Amino acid sequence: MGSERLPLRVWARRSGLKAWLYLLPALLILGVFQIYPVFKSFLMGFYTKFDYLTDTVYEWGLDNFVNLLHDADFALAIQNTCILVVLAAPLSIAVSLVFAVLLNSNIRLRRVFQSIYFLPFVTSMVAVSIAWSWMLNKDFGLVNSVLKLFGISKVAWLTTPDMTIPILVVLAVWKGLGYRVIILLAGLQGIDRRYYAAARVDGARGLSRFFHITIPMLKPTLVFLSITTVIDVFKTFDEVYVMYSNDPGPLKSGLTIVYYIFTKFYRHWEFASAAAASFVLFLMIFAITLLQFLFTSRSRREGRR
Amino acid sequence: MSTKLRRCLVRAATYLILVAGAAFILLPFVWMILTSLKPSAEVLLMPPKWLPSRIQWENYVEAFESAPFLRYFCNSVIVTVLITTGELITTILAAFAFSQLRFRGREVLFLLLVATMMVPGEILVIPNFVTLAKLGWVDTYKALALPWCASVFSIFLLRQQFSSIPEDFHKAARVDGCKDLRYLFTVLVPMSRPTVVSIALLKIINSWNSYLWPLIATNTNDMRTLPVGLAFFSTEAGVKYNTLMAFSLMIILPTLVVYLFTQKYIIRGVSNTGLKG
Amino acid sequence: MNIRLEHVSKHFKNTVAVDDLSVVIEEGMLICLLGPSGCGKSTTLSMVAGLEPPTQGEIYFGDRPMAHIPVEDRDIGMVFQNYALYPHMTVLENIMFPLKMRRVPRAQRRQRAEEMGEMLQLTELLRRKPGQLSGGQQQRVAIARALVKEPQILLLDEPFSNLDARLRIELREDIRALQKKLGITTVFVTHDQEEAMSISDRILLMRDGRVQQYATPEEMYRRPTNQFTAGFLGNPPINFVPCTYDGEIVTVEGAPDWRLPLDRLRPCREGIAGKAVLGIRPEDLYVAERGFCTAAITAIQPLGKEVYLKLAAGPHQLTACLSWDHDYRVGEELPLAVKQLHLFPARPEEGGGAHGL
Repeated sequence: MGSERLPLRVWARRSGLKAWLYLLPALLILGVFQIYPVFKSFLMGFYTKFDYLTDTVYEWGLDNFVNLLHDADFALAIQNTCILVVLAAPLSIAVSLVFAVLLNSNIRLRRVFQSIYFLPFVTSMVAVSIAWSWMLNKDFGLVNSVLKLFGISKVAWLTTPDMTIPILVVLAVWKGLGYRVIILLAGLQGIDRRYYAAARVDGARGLSRFFHITIPMLKPTLVFLSITTVIDVFKTFDEVYVMYSNDPGPLKSGLTIVYYIFTKFYRHWEFASAAAASFVLFLMIFAITLLQFLFTSRSRREGRR
Repeated sequence: MSTKLRRCLVRAATYLILVAGAAFILLPFVWMILTSLKPSAEVLLMPPKWLPSRIQWENYVEAFESAPFLRYFCNSVIVTVLITTGELITTILAAFAFSQLRFRGREVLFLLLVATMMVPGEILVIPNFVTLAKLGWVDTYKALALPWCASVFSIFLLRQQFSSIPEDFHKAARVDGCKDLRYLFTVLVPMSRPTVVSIALLKIINSWNSYLWPLIATNTNDMRTLPVGLAFFSTEAGVKYNTLMAFSLMIILPTLVVYLFTQKYIIRGVSNTGLKG
Repeated sequence: MNIRLEHVSKHFKNTVAVDDLSVVIEEGMLICLLGPSGCGKSTTLSMVAGLEPPTQGEIYFGDRPMAHIPVEDRDIGMVFQNYALYPHMTVLENIMFPLKMRRVPRAQRRQRAEEMGEMLQLTELLRRKPGQLSGGQQQRVAIARALVKEPQILLLDEPFSNLDARLRIELREDIRALQKKLGITTVFVTHDQEEAMSISDRILLMRDGRVQQYATPEEMYRRPTNQFTAGFLGNPPINFVPCTYDGEIVTVEGAPDWRLPLDRLRPCREGIAGKAVLGIRPEDLYVAERGFCTAAITAIQPLGKEVYLKLAAGPHQLTACLSWDHDYRVGEELPLAVKQLHLFPARPEEGGGAHGL
């Protein structure tokens, strides 16, 4: 065997060359398309004059961020998104929790129910949004015809600004039910049966068992789920864009942050302000994640005590 | 007696709620199917008719012909296949390095990657578009697929799985002269089949349904994927809801079939995502 | 092929796993690497296999130095503690795997694997997956997989520790018979002294990375060269009694009146003087009128054909293993005699403590 080849082999082993070769494809793609863009979009937020085709920047400045502050649309987008999150996230989790707990009791056809609830997760949001907008049609929609049976007169669901947020809330509940039920079921099944037995011996009845054992034991799952749900709702876009036919809803009542970014970028070709707005989105999501982190590490510490 | 009655009532209420939930979830799908089979005259009626007087399969033919459905479909298939294969390759190789090979900076690099998991995909859209525009790749399959050909989350999942396989397997294989790539693909991957399959399935569903990026990365009709095509078609179709619903169902159908046959893996994969918290 | 280790050491970050080990394993022998956990026996096996490079020293197979020879070119078969059978392959595929890696033609591969399966009584199980087999059957498959390529050397890393006691005895006899038949040089790692005693040609006893003794089981049991070896082998373990030795007379600490038969004394090394430790195997004690001392029974543990007695002899605790020919009672005083005595230099750092009890 070549004795000159040996040092090269030794060097390669020491530096972990092989490992880096295995990592190369993943790192290349992650680096270019998922890590670099974070910094890039931060920088782009400060571009005030540039040519995106050649990626040359003529001027830097804070203008984009200043403009965002003065843009009534951006304020509206943040307001709408926050209202949506505040309504949709707790409701979705509460509804999912009810279903998960019911499924976790001794239920026949559990698998079937679970599969049905999960359906929206695997279907195209575009297709589903179109179906919903058809059901919500004012003159021929299914929803109004059902309401009519109860003597309620027609509602112009898709053209009444006050209806937009409630519709999006219902859609969020509908879309994520299955996903949340599965996560919650996994959490519920992780709770040791013996706790319930012990609580029974101690005389705790159904509901108090739920509040004193299920909820506290499920806390890590609930925290995880609330974060993912909040982030998910934060990023609402597809359903608004499709349901309102490329419009942010009547009187911009469905203008979300992602929608705002999309419009700036895709409609107005204002890349820099879109980048600035998306950086604000990133910061908001980062803050939420950080909160989760602090929250869980605190409760973990408490649990250890 | 009364406890028995109470228990019965609780049971009944439980099933009632579960069934109501199922109806709520299924309603749009059922309505889609019914509408898609109706003759045009029965679509716009008030009150609506539940069942079509005759089943009009032609709506599907019309949907198939009215938009370049086949073209969209092929694009969707190509992009989904590219992304899924790409992701599997990068994920398997990276998970191998992170779980089986020793090198300097391994833990730090891994933590760094895990930290990027919380970056929302939406913020990547603009810089990625600029990058691809600079490369002249906008409106190509490369642009549609390449950015999504690696996922930290999948690497994370698969690394956990690989690490759970005892070291003795690696040693046993080395004694027989089976190492590195060969070991990875003849031993590690087959032993981790359920995880690999759920990663692939979640990716297939995700890329088949993705909307925002294909919308931005394409600008000609020839490159559009099904969801983007459907959105454009919906503005064209106007009140032809039966055709529109037929079109929508044809998009949903493939993922539905995949889901029905591989539920176990998909649900397993999803439950795993909950464990990362 | 014989195996030679010359001044082999293995250092991990802050610890020395194997310290200057030199040993020759003769061709066709079955050698046990024995010792408590963490003694370096598995590391030694890994270095022989080539899974870990030694930090210092050289390993030879025959006359060939192994330093830069990778595992797969060393011509070894290996069996692991948890068998490492590939769960996605059938038994047959598992056995064929090493041949496949050596690019043996398909037909021949199959034939050799089937022959191997037959030798290990696996013929009926060849189509099954490892998950459907019992522990003993899995063990046989692992052995078949290790032997199918007809290696020069067979290495076994605690191969029986996951089996129940009865199967363990059965399988180790099978392995012994197979090894004799094939005449393959075999190295076997275990922490079970009984297992090592029952099947090996020689035992290499290790502790803290150092060789304690390398000898046949009989030699090691009857003539242990140090206190650790004496304490590690034997069940119930040997009795240790602190004493002083001036080259002629042994004086037991706290019991100077013991009249020990010094003609039966076997010092482990010449020139011991001063503080020493006396070793008495429980089965070397017997009841005789002219004993070296009298001892009171404090506990009785009957074991069927024989009986263990816990005895208080002066300030010392002794265990004796006697035949069941007398109705022993707690509190009874017995005159004790002894067949053989071992003497070791006292090692203050161990406080004279025996291994085990």
